[in-house]
Amino acid sequence: MTDTFFSIWRVNVRSQTFVREPAPASWERLGGRALLARILVDEVPPTCDALGPHNKLIFAPGLLVGHMLSSCDRISIGGKSPMTGGAKESNAGGRTGLQLARLGVRALILEDQPQTDDWWVLHLSAQGARFDPADGLAGLGVYAAAPILTERYGQDAAIALIGPGGEMLMHAAGIQNLDKDGAPSRIAARGGMGAVMATKRLKAIVIDGGSGDKPPIADQKAFNAARKAYNKALLGHPQTTVYREYGTAAVARMCQAFGVLPTRNFSAGEFEGLEGLSAETLRQYLTTRKGCDPSHACMAGCAIQSSNIYVTADGQTTVSPVEYETIGLMGSNLGIADLDAVARMNAVVNDLGLDTIEVGAALGVAADAGLMAFGDGARGLELVEEIRAGTALGRVLGNGAAVTGQVFGVKRVPAVKGQAMSAYDPRALKGTGVTYATSPQGADHTCGLTIRAKIDHLGTEGQVALSRGLQFRTAGFDSLGACMFASFGFNADPAVVPALLKARYGWDADEGFVDWIGRESVRLERQFNRLAGLTPADDRLPEWMTREPLPPTHAVFDVPDADLDAIFDF
Amino acid sequence: MRFLISEPPAVTITLHLHNVLRQQTPAGLSSPASLTLPAGTTLAGLLARLQITFPADALLLVVNRRTVGPEQILQEGDTVHLMPALAGGD
Repeated sequence: MTDTFFSIWRVNVRSQTFVREPAPASWERLGGRALLARILVDEVPPTCDALGPHNKLIFAPGLLVGHMLSSCDRISIGGKSPMTGGAKESNAGGRTGLQLARLGVRALILEDQPQTDDWWVLHLSAQGARFDPADGLAGLGVYAAAPILTERYGQDAAIALIGPGGEMLMHAAGIQNLDKDGAPSRIAARGGMGAVMATKRLKAIVIDGGSGDKPPIADQKAFNAARKAYNKALLGHPQTTVYREYGTAAVARMCQAFGVLPTRNFSAGEFEGLEGLSAETLRQYLTTRKGCDPSHACMAGCAIQSSNIYVTADGQTTVSPVEYETIGLMGSNLGIADLDAVARMNAVVNDLGLDTIEVGAALGVAADAGLMAFGDGARGLELVEEIRAGTALGRVLGNGAAVTGQVFGVKRVPAVKGQAMSAYDPRALKGTGVTYATSPQGADHTCGLTIRAKIDHLGTEGQVALSRGLQFRTAGFDSLGACMFASFGFNADPAVVPALLKARYGWDADEGFVDWIGRESVRLERQFNRLAGLTPADDRLPEWMTREPLPPTHAVFDVPDADLDAIFDF
Repeated sequence: MRFLISEPPAVTITLHLHNVLRQQTPAGLSSPASLTLPAGTTLAGLLARLQITFPADALLLVVNRRTVGPEQILQEGDTVHLMPALAGGD
């Protein structure tokens, strides 16, 4: 059954022209990450300059986006990554996915580059696309730019925008998206898509989803029944309560228990200052400080509400959200045991439209180079302000951990394919190390985090198979538009996803659909990477991690190279 | 005739409870806590003794930094972490 509601929106940013076209047959059952990978293979020259006119910036809502199904309205944003040199999909919550779906956008493809240096706002509505001058917006952080945009375009619009980091073409630049409350806080952070958007000379994309319609549902009764089953499984899952009360910050203590909490630029896996960063401490602040919200939904309709709004003790800084990955990379990784210090850096980096994982890792490398003392939060804040100022040092840091290591001669750089690791040291969490090494996306926990698995994380046995399965599963959820925590609902009943797809589209999908579409995503991304010039040498952790033992477990990464190379022999 | 009366053998462990589990154990038990248990106590036995209501299959049981099963017998000096099985965030 052909879906006539959705179409491909193709915008040429050079000629400022726009066409709507039906999706080719081979794209029809793809969405989100899988569709991105397909478009990259079909349309983007793999050897192109990621910041040049032949790269394309693609927005693709997942297959289940558009219905306010809990935790399932995420937007996938991608193209060729200036950071990894390969395929990139980075996804985010907020409003963007939902409102693009309501305009009937299966994929928005931005092509070419303008010939002038003017900045533009791309406005999308049911009437089509238009370009407005981005008057007064260039150079502004996202916290200043977003209110101006909502004033111009209305409070209900979805907005995807870049900050000064993107404008400076920094490889750590992401694309911020308004959350359900209008805050520019949901960033498609990884791999430099903010820099790619800057090369299209777009400061912002405004999506007037209110001018569109809810996507049609082939069988409303069946959809409602499947939604009910999903919600019941999600709300009944014990982890949902933990996420709502403690958020992802609860992972910090887990990582400490396993000895994988990044500490002082990945030189140890245990941090003596954990209590200052823990979920229990965070919750105490969030439930007692004025202006905080301990359980915040980033997308309308989300039942999990794992996000938060954090206000520092002095009331001067508000940031949403403070998440585990930032706590790990900007807290323990910098030897900082103070959530307020982390929140201040987090707020600046968000405002710049940069990836907190990448910048946190870069600061760790900078500290190893002597540019800040571990534990010195004030100096950390000065360094992120250097990025805003665009100084030479700031530009180095804004290009990420690998560039920072190269410039300052630091060999202990936690990165794969040029992209910094998330807040899990892979030497004592070897399945995640396999994911970091072999994911086509570069080091990224959202591509297959193994910490929940009941396996000996210090041993090598079973890690490759575990990682492979999770890489497919997570890519599958990325293709549905589902948050990784939606898996608690979906995994409880494998019949739910096929039932939702059947009810929504009339397709017959079996219980293996999530793994199939995830596998297809990884296959296509690897095909693109191979043609872009990536080789097995890129599917490795940094060599120092195979030699330098990680206290306190003294583990090194010792999964054999041959096993890494064979992971996707299918 | 003399009888030798001795205490039953025991082991002492250090217990760390994570997030919601702190709300589900006998009042007054702080984390970390030092616990003395009869020798031969398994992790399943420890969970029962703590009256933890969180579903056991949704927990990770970590002893000396390794994930283990509920049948594992606790040893003198073990460091035990009981935690809901979570995953990271953005």
